[in-house]
Amino acid sequence: MEIKIAVSGINAVDNPGPGIGVAKSLLEAEDFSAEIVGLAYDAMEPGIYMDWIVKKSFIMPYPSGGHDAFINRLLYIKENYGMDFFMPVLDAELPVVIKYSHELEKNGIKTFLPTYEQFKLRSKDRLEEIANNIGIEIPKSEVVTSYEELIKAIEKIGLPVMVKGAFYKAYRAFTTQEAVSYYNKIVAQWGYPIIVQQVVSGEEMNVVAAGDGEGSSLGMVGIKKVWITELGKIWTGITIKNEKMLSASQKFIEKYSWKGAFELECIVDTKESRVYLIEINPRFPAWSYFSTGVGVNIAANIIRKSFGMPVKNYTDYPAGKLYVRFTDDLVTDMERFQKIITRGES
Amino acid sequence: MDRIKQLAINDEGFVFDPLTGDSFTVNQTGLFILKKLKEGKTEEEILQEITGEFEVSQEEAERDLIDFIEKLRSYRLI
Amino acid sequence: MKKIYEKPVITKLQTGFMNKFGSSPLYARKIRKDIDGVPISELVEKFGSPLFVISEKKLREKFRQIYNAFSTRYPNVQFGWSYKTNYLKAVCAVLHQEGAIAEVVSAFEYEKARNLGIEGKEIIFNGPHKPVEILEVAASEGAKIHIDHFDEITDLEKIAEKLGKQIKVAIRINMDTGIHPQWDRFGFNLETGQALDAVKRIASGGKLVLNGLHCHIGTFILEPEAYGREVEKMVKFAYEVEDNFGFKIEYLDIGGGFPSKNRLKGTYLPPDVAVPPVDEYAEKITESLYSNLRPGDFPKLILETGRAIVDEAEYLITTVFASKRLPDGRKAYIADAGVNLLFTAFWYKFNIEIDREVQGSNEPAVIYGPLCMNIDIIDEGTMLSPLERGTRLIFSPVGAYNNTQWMQFIEYRPNVVMVMEDQTVEVIREKENLSDIEKRERLPERLKIK
Repeated sequence: MEIKIAVSGINAVDNPGPGIGVAKSLLEAEDFSAEIVGLAYDAMEPGIYMDWIVKKSFIMPYPSGGHDAFINRLLYIKENYGMDFFMPVLDAELPVVIKYSHELEKNGIKTFLPTYEQFKLRSKDRLEEIANNIGIEIPKSEVVTSYEELIKAIEKIGLPVMVKGAFYKAYRAFTTQEAVSYYNKIVAQWGYPIIVQQVVSGEEMNVVAAGDGEGSSLGMVGIKKVWITELGKIWTGITIKNEKMLSASQKFIEKYSWKGAFELECIVDTKESRVYLIEINPRFPAWSYFSTGVGVNIAANIIRKSFGMPVKNYTDYPAGKLYVRFTDDLVTDMERFQKIITRGES
Repeated sequence: MDRIKQLAINDEGFVFDPLTGDSFTVNQTGLFILKKLKEGKTEEEILQEITGEFEVSQEEAERDLIDFIEKLRSYRLI
Repeated sequence: MKKIYEKPVITKLQTGFMNKFGSSPLYARKIRKDIDGVPISELVEKFGSPLFVISEKKLREKFRQIYNAFSTRYPNVQFGWSYKTNYLKAVCAVLHQEGAIAEVVSAFEYEKARNLGIEGKEIIFNGPHKPVEILEVAASEGAKIHIDHFDEITDLEKIAEKLGKQIKVAIRINMDTGIHPQWDRFGFNLETGQALDAVKRIASGGKLVLNGLHCHIGTFILEPEAYGREVEKMVKFAYEVEDNFGFKIEYLDIGGGFPSKNRLKGTYLPPDVAVPPVDEYAEKITESLYSNLRPGDFPKLILETGRAIVDEAEYLITTVFASKRLPDGRKAYIADAGVNLLFTAFWYKFNIEIDREVQGSNEPAVIYGPLCMNIDIIDEGTMLSPLERGTRLIFSPVGAYNNTQWMQFIEYRPNVVMVMEDQTVEVIREKENLSDIEKRERLPERLKIK
């Protein structure tokens, strides 16, 4: 079976998008033959030039263009080149694609995504409820918009605290004075609200998984980041099997009938055997090829499920496998660049 | 006008300046004007050729040509 | 055969911006040739430019859509038209015809509603500044007075004494619904016990009768769940009041704050994705009512939704007056209307439509208004094909807060017309002239120029 699969996030740069990892996984599936259509937001996204993975690329208008821009562009690609499946992997794309997934489906473009209700679950104010429901903890946190609330929150949580912006920046404060100065710093740059969070000790561990929308898993792998870059991106990692974290992921899939890929970010305190939920990302992480490398091809299973092929039952994976990211380079002439600039497609 | 003579211009409207490494995109009318400038034509000559080639009034073409050249100047291409 | 002309454009490719569609969400340039079937050209020819155009059809449709979302779910619903959102007589009259009562926040607005023929008892009187004179009029005419602070309680008690009767009142409360910033400057705070103190104070005075609660959690609220929390807290508080003070809370006014399909600056998601449908709000609100109200109790649910009803029903037609090239290479257009008429340009990025097909590729452009003032910018960064002088730009949605907050600064305010349901066009506010502006001025004799 030949399937044309559009993958976004092919910006394989120092802060890489998840696209290339997902594309590599799809190409490794043996029971179907994927052709990768790259969707890029800039003519300089490296994926456009990696023609051994991405056969053809298209420039996309930003998802902020909504239906008229974004969805119509997908339909244009469907009509003029072909696209049987769209795997969006960037946060900004998800709300738009979820909202119009029926229209895409009607026009012959399948997707495999959570519902909008499920998507909203991952918002910061719902995390506590989820953590409770799946049997793990969450660092105590308070949302504040004034000094008064900030001081109250610090008293409630106890020092040290993390002072975080709603979207960006996080600082560890050991004194109230420090917290106030970070608060001012973030407000000046990013505005309100500010989140004050308990500092929890432990190691950063993550899960990549996908739910089939009916309460079952399409594959799941737990990892620990061993070495991260200055931007906080994984460079070396190792597979692990933390029962508590993995069973929390399993429960998340079951309880919420989660559909599609997701990443669970946790802090695990192995001494106290505590798992804290930090974030749920409703998409593949940038390192998702790691799971494929240890025999759990989650992306391929999503395609199988979507097209009614027999789904592979990945029950286990080896712990202690190593993930190593490395840099590479290529030289090409300007032709592809010219084409993508002037025509919007390679 | 020297910089403009070195520009690599392709017919799809992609322009590359080997001196600086800058790239530009240009539409068909812009391409038309660039090529004429490259040939060393004066603004008056170009204006005449535009109105001969395209369905446009003298007044509008002149206004647009001035604007386009201002833009080239802002890019330091001329 | 000569070739079709398009204006020449050259654009430098910049790292991080190499997207042929541009970084503007408005790349999908739209053409609008008419409003409700009346051609833009005809509108401008007859009524000039700039021109505000309100669609009666759309206004009624929006009202019915939102009203029905609630009335089909709950048996006792009343809408109050928020005058401050747009108090042009014709707009108010359409909404009153649809069944809305008036919601006013000042003496001026109160008088405006009365002048339009709305009875006192059909007026909700909100706001922190209700001078005693108008408060007395409102009280004697039976308006629904929503108390904002303790001083107003004192004022009303004096008025009750003077009128020799008890006055029915409601209090405005504020609360934490998880919305930031929390609106805590209006009314009495619930969590600190201030609201309960106000009730105690009213009960002990014996001159006022509390029969309603009002709350307004914020503006452009994109989280329907917040209204669920608001309603839950209001109902619980209402029963606390009823059980302890013997007042009967006959209505809950949950305010407004529903968003329109406008794009707030700084938000990433497009309004068609970010703005939840009104049914989602209605669902959360009525769900919360049913799970918190006692069986058989259906207090009146009042909504003061303004923006969500009127914003999308109005357009502003402007004309490109001139264009220039900025030193950084961007194209600048000068339109004949700016922030003087579009106050909401300070926080919205409007939908811009063009009245004709334009040839040529997009280039970065900025749209300035006509004012001799640096802040007069309608769109500081968009992608536009080169536009010729005289091109009409149609901005929308502009129905909320512009016809009330516009300013008369160095320019006259233009005609406002309404395209009626039968496609006839009525002027509903004439364009101003010098005498309108100077009518109230007095020049002392000795300063007269001889």
